[in-house]
Amino acid sequence: MLDKKTGQAPAPSQGSNTRGMKGLSDRMVGWIFIAPTIFLLLAINIFPLIWTIRLSLTNYRANRTNAEVKWLGLRNYERILTDPDIWNAMQATAHFVFWTLTLQVLIGFTLAYLINKKFKGNDLWTTIIVLPMMLSPAVVGNFWTFLYQPQIGLFNYFIGFLTGADPSSFSMIGDVALAPWSIVIVDTWMWTPFVMLICLAGLRSIPDSIYEAAECDRASKWRQFWTITIPMALPFLMLAVLFRGIENFKMFDLVVQLTGGGPGSITELTSINLKREAFEKWRTGYASAYAVILFVTVFGLASIYVKALNKVKER
Amino acid sequence: MAEVRLSGLSKSFGSTVALEKVDLEVPDGSFVVLLGPTGAGKTTILRMVSGLDTPDEGTVTIGGQLMTGLTPAQRNVAMVFQQYSLYPHMNVRENLEFPLKSPLLRTPQSEIDRKVNEVAEILQISHKLDNKSTALSGGEMQRVSIGRALVRNPSVYLMDEPLSSLDAKLRADLRVELKSIQANSGATLIYVTHDQVEAMTMATHVGVLDNGKLVQFGTPRQIYEDPVSLYAASRLGQPRINVLPADLFANVPPKATSIGLRPEHILQGEGEESTVTRVEHLGDQTRLHLIFKNHDLITVTDAHTELQQGDTIKIKPDNPLYFDASGARLV
Repeated sequence: MLDKKTGQAPAPSQGSNTRGMKGLSDRMVGWIFIAPTIFLLLAINIFPLIWTIRLSLTNYRANRTNAEVKWLGLRNYERILTDPDIWNAMQATAHFVFWTLTLQVLIGFTLAYLINKKFKGNDLWTTIIVLPMMLSPAVVGNFWTFLYQPQIGLFNYFIGFLTGADPSSFSMIGDVALAPWSIVIVDTWMWTPFVMLICLAGLRSIPDSIYEAAECDRASKWRQFWTITIPMALPFLMLAVLFRGIENFKMFDLVVQLTGGGPGSITELTSINLKREAFEKWRTGYASAYAVILFVTVFGLASIYVKALNKVKER
Repeated sequence: MAEVRLSGLSKSFGSTVALEKVDLEVPDGSFVVLLGPTGAGKTTILRMVSGLDTPDEGTVTIGGQLMTGLTPAQRNVAMVFQQYSLYPHMNVRENLEFPLKSPLLRTPQSEIDRKVNEVAEILQISHKLDNKSTALSGGEMQRVSIGRALVRNPSVYLMDEPLSSLDAKLRADLRVELKSIQANSGATLIYVTHDQVEAMTMATHVGVLDNGKLVQFGTPRQIYEDPVSLYAASRLGQPRINVLPADLFANVPPKATSIGLRPEHILQGEGEESTVTRVEHLGDQTRLHLIFKNHDLITVTDAHTELQQGDTIKIKPDNPLYFDASGARLV
């Protein structure tokens, strides 16, 4: 509406000076809106985190709440970092994360590249490829134990068919050398489609006209791939690696169902190891310190990575 | 550099006919402008010549060599796209260097630098060379896109409305630059536009396209003075040719249904009366909007005319163009 005296529109509201409904300032209304979220965040994220850090400095045991709690300082941390079992779990996790990421990126990108070619029925193929991702990890873990079964397992039969070896001569989840690979294979089977979808989004974001320009600029398909496709899809690829990296660092359900950490503790990833310390051995203080170490590791790696990702995006 | 020959070129997209049996000969070293409204098939012709699209029928020859089945790279054409198509992850310099860095060419870096700087100078983008290509204005992107073609030495340049998003002054500058680059290098250039000033000022030849058909091909002067149809006649000329029913005038050829009057076809001071409805002083000339027997007309008169709105002025056709019912020219 126009102001009658000056013929001008009234000045737009200016931050907290203007009074809103019922005498509340804009700033106040803003706080009221975000308060529930802030409260939830504090209650279920920040508070437990601080509490965990506090517990990690004690010998507290959650199954003996009456026992005297002793202040240990950094002793828990010291013991964890010198514990060979934990280093084994770290190594198993590193192996798992490294190989799942490598395979999923390679296979996922290749699939995306192929699906992105215009051919009949590529939507149908996308749907089929994406299916494993929609299953529950527990279900996947469970039925792969059948596939890996030496006597009746399809996987063993298939490998036997390809290599000529006797299908019952090896056991993927029973063999110390094969078990780390058995979990890599299942995770790759399940989550490669996810990487493929993100890569596909990346590839689809490159307009055809860019390739046409490159074609006219006499760039070979090979050069187009390395100077256009890869650099332009890279932010997406890196995002997929970030998601999968964080997920796999804390991998639990699939592996528990599949190998339960065995044989021995060969496939005992840090999260399984941690769960044993916290809820089987009930060393709550010790496990808290362990959790803090894992948190700092993931958080640190992820922030370095996100910095790199932003740099790539900014080009 | 090479001549380009299109023979019997046809292309349909689904049920839409984009090109219908187009025969066109682009002489070596000529500057050919393809004129026509949106959907006339101008861009389709460029894409056929470049090899980005394949014709349904007909052939393209460049420098006497049949191009069927050859890729754009093999044809050695440089194309400026209407939508710029810059490489978004590279800066301006990298964009300009890209065609020169083709392993096919093996250009030394000093030569690349020289060429890039030279072209950037011409296009007035030297100060933007290290900018991100996504952080440019539309006009700057368009100039980078032109530059990416100019750094090369192709057998033919193909340009799709390359000056459309530039401001008036820059457009006038670049018109002159492009024309002189083409004239000095003897390059063959096929240029798509619907700006008739570009056609008149730069072209050695103009091809007029109508719904996928090449209706006339000749020098700009030929098309202006001797159009084959009403359609071709209305492509060129500012103000546009006036079209009136032929029976308003005496002594018209028997089959003529409409008469086309360019400003120079309207003799002022003699004949029948018309009313001035508006006077536009453009500085070097004045445009008169007239009503003649209930029909609107626009013509040009002396820059310092005393005429005003509401005045009457006598006019008479002088050697006008006649067209029959189908729009074809009657000579």
